[in-house]
Amino acid sequence: MTEPKPVILIVDDDPDIRQLVAEFLSLEGLEVEVAENAAAMDVVLARIRPDLIVLDLMMPGEDGLSICRRLRASGGPAILMLTAKSDEIDRVVGLEMGADDYLVKPFGPRELLARIRAVLRRMTERANGPPSRRFSFDQFVIDLDARQIAAVDGAPLSLTSGEFDLLACFVQRPRRVLSRDQILDQLRGREADPFDRTVDMLTSRLRRKLAEINPESELISTVRNSGYLFTPIVKPVS
Amino acid sequence: MNLRLAMPVRIGLIMMIALFAGWITLLAAFYISTDGGRQAALPTPERLVALAKVFEQRPSDDRSLLIGALTARDFQVRLTEGKPDLTATPEFNPLDAATFEAITEQLAPRDVAILPQIIEGLPGSVFVSPINAVEFQIALRSGETLVVTTNSPIVVASIGLPVGFGAALVGTVIALVMLIVLHREFRPLSRLAAAVDAVDPMGEPADLPPIRARSPELRALIAAFARLQDRLGVLIKGRMALIGGLQHDVRTFATRLRLRVDKIADPAERERATADIQDMIHLLDDALLASRAGANELDEELIDFSALIRSEIADRREQGAPVELAMSPSADQATVLGDRLALRRVIANLIDNALTYGNSAQLDLVYAPDEIILTIDDDGPGIRVEQREMLLEPFTRLEASRARHTGGSGLGLAVASGLVQAHLGKLVISDSPTGGTRILIRLPVFRSGPSSAQYT
Repeated sequence: MTEPKPVILIVDDDPDIRQLVAEFLSLEGLEVEVAENAAAMDVVLARIRPDLIVLDLMMPGEDGLSICRRLRASGGPAILMLTAKSDEIDRVVGLEMGADDYLVKPFGPRELLARIRAVLRRMTERANGPPSRRFSFDQFVIDLDARQIAAVDGAPLSLTSGEFDLLACFVQRPRRVLSRDQILDQLRGREADPFDRTVDMLTSRLRRKLAEINPESELISTVRNSGYLFTPIVKPVS
Repeated sequence: MNLRLAMPVRIGLIMMIALFAGWITLLAAFYISTDGGRQAALPTPERLVALAKVFEQRPSDDRSLLIGALTARDFQVRLTEGKPDLTATPEFNPLDAATFEAITEQLAPRDVAILPQIIEGLPGSVFVSPINAVEFQIALRSGETLVVTTNSPIVVASIGLPVGFGAALVGTVIALVMLIVLHREFRPLSRLAAAVDAVDPMGEPADLPPIRARSPELRALIAAFARLQDRLGVLIKGRMALIGGLQHDVRTFATRLRLRVDKIADPAERERATADIQDMIHLLDDALLASRAGANELDEELIDFSALIRSEIADRREQGAPVELAMSPSADQATVLGDRLALRRVIANLIDNALTYGNSAQLDLVYAPDEIILTIDDDGPGIRVEQREMLLEPFTRLEASRARHTGGSGLGLAVASGLVQAHLGKLVISDSPTGGTRILIRLPVFRSGPSSAQYT
């Protein structure tokens, strides 16, 4: 064989699923490693460098979401997320978690193989290195890593640190209603105080600054009794 | 309903009481200003002088004639032997000092005794000493005593008001106070009713607003409601957790099964087994969504509605199902704020129903200014009018048997309707032009703005 076999690491707490998937993928000519939890995965990762990890979202101990964030932070291999909750898929593929693709349980083996191949293909097409976190929305371009935002026509926009964090939070979860609690949680990573008006104040300031550049659009909507909604479509830009 | 009835009654009572109070006060003012009751009972001093002089001057034969002529029901005259009883001091003097002076002065030098006739045994007589008669004893020069008794038809209290006025006034005031006190006493009850009505039994348990009540029974009732609400909250949280756990475990088992199914050699059998697993998972999804919609836990996300429909249609066309879509030109700009999975399951349920019971599905999407209207028509036998309401109840199917060979779990239409309602929309069953079933869905379109309509 001229090309090395892609190495797939399956992390799932269910032994039957691990075994059945491993069996099938091996038959299809992939090299397969298995791990039953985060600790076992780390042991495997210390030994080999897989091309792709098939990661179960809900596991005892460190869950898939946390693992995914951890691996993403260090560049890591491609991740195909498995989720047993059909209502969580949007969060899984969302920019907030950084999984490359997802599959809802129950899935057929052929479906899994097709997804794995597709992700691997995308990986080789893409230049190595962590993906950039630059996004465009409405008339703006935001770079989350450089912490910069500017209008498309080049007009700069100066945001305070708090305002930028809030906008980053919105950009990573566009077109989805976020409650004040969720936003505070993202901004500060702690239990939100229900009487905290920080989010409301930050939001209205951010709204005003965005409106200075584009007075036409209402980028942040208030949904009564629910929270805030960032309405524009966000696209990654290279 | 009760409140609406009680309000006019209460207003009517208050108006009546106020009317009575005003009426009684006016009458009292009239009596006090005219001194009506007492005046009627009193003859003028001149009249008494004239009487005394007439009796003194006329011969004794004429006296009985005079007495007969002068006596009336409210004015009696008689002659007695002896002197006026000057020692009998009345408990109070019914006449004011000026009148008393005038009478004694004009009758001088005759002795005069003025005796009010107090009526015993009338309620309130202890305090008000009601009088309706005054007796004048006048010593005539001829030696006899002329006794003149005047009485008024109205029994008058010492304050100059007809007896009973005070009681009516006090009664009216008491009634007014009682009404106000009762209203204040029952106000916590109506507040509690409003608070309990506002409680969403499926939603987050919110604390009842603080209701102050004086009576311990009401306080106990309010506390009991608060406890009931806490227990409901725990129950619902527990149920949601149970469904979440069930969902995860069933999907794990289904995954194993799905992977094993692939080892079935017969491709037709394998396909059927795969479809069974898929049906099972859809049923689970529907149940999950139905309970989440009930618990107000649906997601809120901007959804391109036409794209969602197109993707569901594409899936079915791939399998060769006769599904058609017509769209008004602007319909693909419509965004709906809602739960992606829920809306997808609604569309999938309705298309599958049309294909199962009506052989084909014709979808029509119209973007009205504020709402998006989706109609799904089929070529089937249609649904009779009287059965339409029933179909929106969970687990109802028109076939008597619950056999699964015709497909569908029976959860479909009810869940679809419930989910559409949770998105502030409406699902209606009617007839398609070909005589089949038409399902019509209206969903509000999301409008961007600093503050948009409430969802859920």
